[in-house]
Amino acid sequence: MGEQDIIRMVNEVFEESFEIPSDELTLEANIFNELGLDSLDVVDLVVALQKKFGVTIRDDERVLTIRTLGDIYNFIQSIKSEGGT
Amino acid sequence: MRGLKLIYLNVTFYVFFFIFSLVAIPTLSCFVTLCVLILPRRQALRRLRRAISWYGAVIICILPFPLVRLKYKDYNQADPGGPYIFVCNHRSASDPFLMAVLPGELIQIVNVWPFRVPVLGFIAKLAGYLSVREMPFEDFKAKTIKLLREGVSIIAFPEGTRSRDNSVGQFHGAIFRIAMETRKPLAPLCITGNELIPPIGSGLLHPGVIRIHRLKPIRWEEYGALGPFKLKNYVRQIIIDEVAAMERCT
Repeated sequence: MGEQDIIRMVNEVFEESFEIPSDELTLEANIFNELGLDSLDVVDLVVALQKKFGVTIRDDERVLTIRTLGDIYNFIQSIKSEGGT
Repeated sequence: MRGLKLIYLNVTFYVFFFIFSLVAIPTLSCFVTLCVLILPRRQALRRLRRAISWYGAVIICILPFPLVRLKYKDYNQADPGGPYIFVCNHRSASDPFLMAVLPGELIQIVNVWPFRVPVLGFIAKLAGYLSVREMPFEDFKAKTIKLLREGVSIIAFPEGTRSRDNSVGQFHGAIFRIAMETRKPLAPLCITGNELIPPIGSGLLHPGVIRIHRLKPIRWEEYGALGPFKLKNYVRQIIIDEVAAMERCT
């Protein structure tokens, strides 16, 4: 799975689960301050990402350091490159 | 002249606030004790919550008058049914006192610090006010649902903290998830004019007019199809639009 595929699929999660317009989904967008997610939305986000990518990230502590959309792209990429399930 | 007004307002307010609290709080405590002893728990709680509203009404409507005036507009007069989940923007430490304008039995969802205020914090806790940051979401949900089922309206400030630039911050979604589960109406409450009564980081009250608009409730039929994320942003946008309209008129 290439970098562009990951970006596209993560953006699809934001568009489908939170109905955030695609033009707001930039690499630097802060998911809390700019996109408006809160801690409960993050739980929904994790569930949606797990479903979309077929991985288990619920207990991964790196989730706690995510701030921007770019962090999510990098996080998914590292999970995928580690062969995470 | 402006400086004199400021001094007059703060001296008279704080002197009377101190004297009034000195009388009202022990009276309130005796009243509550008496209610607890002679009335069933539900009735005692109902009276305590109303007594807190009266206390707030005196603090915000009478003590600073006429240099601080309150203008309340209710767009929901035709629909007295409840309980409601009131959703408010948050600019000042005076916001919790302003809730005295609302009718019925109410509790507020507060941050950690109000519970630490001597005496008042204890009374708020006794009345069932909830500190959302001091409990897991599931506990908070269970308590809130129980209160709504008992007919108690809930007041929430979903920004979680006071706005520093008068803009309406991002909303936390907890209360909207509870609304979706209970299907209770959400009533937006828009407050302007109290950003300097008092400003953040100060206890100094500035003369001014506080405006509160209670908007028509958003019912389950209207919001049921939305997810919690979209619902909180939907309500936030309604409040942003109304606050902007209120500020254009001042």
